[in-house]
Amino acid sequence: MILIIGGAYQGKLDYARQQFQLSISDILDCTQLTSELCQKPLTAKCIYHYEAYIEQCLLANIEPQTAFSPDQIVIADDIFCGVVPIDSHLRAWRETCGRTLTALAIDAQSVIRIFCGLPLKVK
Amino acid sequence: MKAFISGGCKNGKSSWAENLAQRLAGDSPLYYIATMIPCDAEDHQRIEKHRLSRAGKGFCTLEQPTRIHQVLDYSDYARGTYLLDSVTALMLNEMYPRNASLPDVQAPHRVCHDLSFLLAQAKNVVLVSDYIYSDTGHYPKYTQDYCKALAQVDRHLARICDTVVEMSAHQPIYYKGGNL
Repeated sequence: MILIIGGAYQGKLDYARQQFQLSISDILDCTQLTSELCQKPLTAKCIYHYEAYIEQCLLANIEPQTAFSPDQIVIADDIFCGVVPIDSHLRAWRETCGRTLTALAIDAQSVIRIFCGLPLKVK
Repeated sequence: MKAFISGGCKNGKSSWAENLAQRLAGDSPLYYIATMIPCDAEDHQRIEKHRLSRAGKGFCTLEQPTRIHQVLDYSDYARGTYLLDSVTALMLNEMYPRNASLPDVQAPHRVCHDLSFLLAQAKNVVLVSDYIYSDTGHYPKYTQDYCKALAQVDRHLARICDTVVEMSAHQPIYYKGGNL
């Protein structure tokens, strides 16, 4: 699996689409998932907004999927640089995202960070 | 040379950018594009303080809160080095005009256009922006729209600049261009 991270609106999906020749049907947009839908395995070639999937998993009280096949691409927003959120739900979300992405990065063949549209291979 | 610098706050973006602009300018004209629209006495004091500190570093201040390419009309752009700190403040002025009730949705497009023009004409430009995209908050649409608009401009600038740098703990991380 290839992990692509970076702040919001940085062009992560544009980069993935260009680099890995993804078509629209290859992409699962997790902002469209509900807590029921997130119980199904993530099998799409490209998992977009993985952080939104984690939020739904928290609401459904299930463990997020962290095992992916070698040809899958996981894209996640980096949500870790602000002040610790006062809201306990946001706090739990941030923590789970951090923990889960760390596990993903260990398994990933490569981790790419996108900064203002430009890639930096961090693994 | 056209350089774009961003990163989290208090990482030394401004001082690094000032230093770079001074080095690029050498003995040629060095301009600071000031974008702040003062609202009260405190703002005026702050502007005066900044102006004095820059004067010692050889900067000539150009006041241009919107339509940034207009500085070309009253400065020596063929020889000049321009420092714009920050793109963030310029976007605020363009997107939320005083006395307007709604944000101007054309602002990101206009700012991209104006900055492209400035970059094409001026000898050297150093741009500073703010990396405000890695927070946890579910912000209201009003705020999200601003982040999205600034990101659109940032990405455009990163594409057209020779050098793109992220500042982290006052250390430059180069995404594009050689070490400066």
